[in-house]
Amino acid sequence: MMWLSGGFLFRSSSSYYHRLDPRVKLLISILMFVCALLARYIYELVLVMAFMAGVAVTAKVLARVGRTMFLTATFSAVIFVVNFLVTRNLVSSELYAVRFVAIVVSTSLFFITASPDELEQVMKTFRMPRDVVFAFVTAVRFIPVMMLDTFQIMDAQKSRGLEMQKGNVFLRLKNMIPVLIPLVVNAVVRSGELAEAMESRAYGAVPKPTSLVRYKARGVDKAVAVAAVALFALTAYSFYVVLPPLFL
Amino acid sequence: MIEFEGVSFTHPNGVLALDNVDLRIEKGETLAIVGENGAGKTTLVRHVTGLLKPAKGRVSVDGVDTRTTTTATLSRKVGVAFQNPDHQLFSESVEAEMAFALKNFGFEPDVVAKRVSWGLQTFGLEEYRGSSPLILSGGEKKRLTLACILAWDPDAVILDEPTVGQDALQKERLAGTVRMLGAAGKTVVIVSHDIEFLWPMQPRVVVMKSGRIVADGPAAEVMQRREALDSARVAQPQLVAFGQELGAKPERPFVDALGARRFIEGRRP
Amino acid sequence: MTSILEIESFGFRYANAPRNAVADFSLEVTEGSILVLAGPSGCGKSTLLRAVNGLIPHMYNGDYSGDVKVAGRSVKGSEMRELAQTVGFLFQNPENQIFMFSVERDVAFGLENLGVPHDEIRSRVDEAMELLGIASLAKRAPHELSDGQKQRVALAGVLAMRPKLVILDEPTSLLDPRTAKELVELVARLRKELGTTFLIVEHRLELLVEVADKMVVMSGGRKVLDGSPQEVLMGDLAEGYGVAVPAVTKLQKMLAGDGLVRGDRMMTGTELAKTISQAGH
Repeated sequence: MMWLSGGFLFRSSSSYYHRLDPRVKLLISILMFVCALLARYIYELVLVMAFMAGVAVTAKVLARVGRTMFLTATFSAVIFVVNFLVTRNLVSSELYAVRFVAIVVSTSLFFITASPDELEQVMKTFRMPRDVVFAFVTAVRFIPVMMLDTFQIMDAQKSRGLEMQKGNVFLRLKNMIPVLIPLVVNAVVRSGELAEAMESRAYGAVPKPTSLVRYKARGVDKAVAVAAVALFALTAYSFYVVLPPLFL
Repeated sequence: MIEFEGVSFTHPNGVLALDNVDLRIEKGETLAIVGENGAGKTTLVRHVTGLLKPAKGRVSVDGVDTRTTTTATLSRKVGVAFQNPDHQLFSESVEAEMAFALKNFGFEPDVVAKRVSWGLQTFGLEEYRGSSPLILSGGEKKRLTLACILAWDPDAVILDEPTVGQDALQKERLAGTVRMLGAAGKTVVIVSHDIEFLWPMQPRVVVMKSGRIVADGPAAEVMQRREALDSARVAQPQLVAFGQELGAKPERPFVDALGARRFIEGRRP
Repeated sequence: MTSILEIESFGFRYANAPRNAVADFSLEVTEGSILVLAGPSGCGKSTLLRAVNGLIPHMYNGDYSGDVKVAGRSVKGSEMRELAQTVGFLFQNPENQIFMFSVERDVAFGLENLGVPHDEIRSRVDEAMELLGIASLAKRAPHELSDGQKQRVALAGVLAMRPKLVILDEPTSLLDPRTAKELVELVARLRKELGTTFLIVEHRLELLVEVADKMVVMSGGRKVLDGSPQEVLMGDLAEGYGVAVPAVTKLQKMLAGDGLVRGDRMMTGTELAKTISQAGH
């Protein structure tokens, strides 16, 4: 939960990076993601991750990204062990593990710098159906609400003598039932109320709804996008042509 | 029985919710905590059973520091009825819902059965014994959650906004239950906005503002202090304001319409 | 004076329900007035509200009888999107009617759905936020708002659609008394400035007696009392139907019974105290 909220939940900020057009931020994240896939040696991955760190600094989210990296590294360790046991290849196992971290970080960089509004905008750019976009919007909108619900339900059940910190794994799972059922019931009730409120505010009245906000790519956005693509081309070229194979 | 000593608490978002709170709640007392939304009432209540632990200071129940034990253990002594019943009802039947806490607290099966029957009868829920708690009306759900708590016979009960969404008749019944608990020697703490509901019960009143206690005393005394109430954005009971305008003695306020009538009749030439 | 809402012997039974939620209910509401609907839980208030804004019969199945007309048009024969522009509905829990991530986008939600042009959305959203004093919150996320602020955001979203009739379902239940009072004052102001009609379901009547023009009490799905707040609250029947008669009104009734004050006009606490003092009691 903490990992999710720290690594993927947007918090508003006025950094240069945050102010970029969401489509440009998506482009940068995708390019970094692809670079992480293209890298064939550890040191190349390290270069890619250094670039990501640079982006994180510009967006003033280095601390959060760092935490995400650290937590992802735990999963990564598992990947490394499994991979090594199967392939018996130290270098490739290492590569997979580090690559996983890089991929998560590139994705997380997009989600923590793009506001939900911007995510919606991006979805609209890709011409996703209105219902899908709206379902996504409400899902994200209600994450904090559901988290609060969860805490309140846990408080209520602990107050009825439910021990949540004691016992083995199975007992703990069983003790989650009194929390999960009210959570689901509340979500169902909530979705019913949401549906009524949507109807009352003319949802679906016209096939092409208008919008309060209009995103327009500024000159800066276009310049950054071009620079990003150029840098990507350069990186890809270097990886395969210029840089020497170095097994670290 | 419940004691706060210099308790401060800051929420993760940086809001100071409790600011050096000292409060002693005696056994058998009926206490109302009032104040506007965000004044710290709910945070205060969540400290009693250790749902929140003080960042500074000490909270104790019967001398036991809340940091040294679990919420489940503390709840055996202090039952908390939360505002929203939908945050706790989950069993397949009303009967099982009532038995849940009793089983958690380790009561013997025959005691559980007896207590469940007592609760269902006392709170007029017998006809729903086998039904799902989810089909109950809002008022019935609130009654059920209170019955669930009283079934394990805690020494103190905390009611968080018990009158929200309740109509006049339901409120009257609730006031009756609170009086019954008081008469049985239970400690009752009520967090509520509903001044008109609290006033006739004449509880001790604690007024909170920005995480601090700004007034504390018998209702008859605290509710006269218009300025203190105004600054905490708490309304004055209608009959108190009326009595003040009429020049009634502050030490003998009008508890209900009948009292006011007696006073007015008494002044007739 | 024209009627904005006409309900003619309306009745509704939800599919699979054993009996009618509302039966034989008639009511006329004058444009620009404030009507308070009271009654115990489960008396059919919510059903009636849904029938006024069209959720019944458009979203709920069941047996529908009689007719409900808003601004002269039958609700049954209109579509939800038309009704949404005439009838605004502020639901009990503001949390569940705020959809977007920022206040201004949520206020715009209804207008976007209606396909209102971009520039007009902007001006209407700004106007609605200004009206409710939430312009400074425009960029806030819903979870950064207090309950009172959420209520205002939801109401701004409703008002931006410029409805003639606004339904408020227990609007003060989550608010502290002061915030609740501010909301009631806001409603009175909106009625005056915009001429909007309000239909309010509320338990806390002491807040509303001064602004309401009419009060209707329901019980068991039927209308049992109908009149000015004074007629209803000063009458003998209200308490029996579970209506929370304010303490001062109870007192005035007693004193009127004793012949000490007049019983034909409802007074505030201050008025009552003054009357008694002047009478020399």
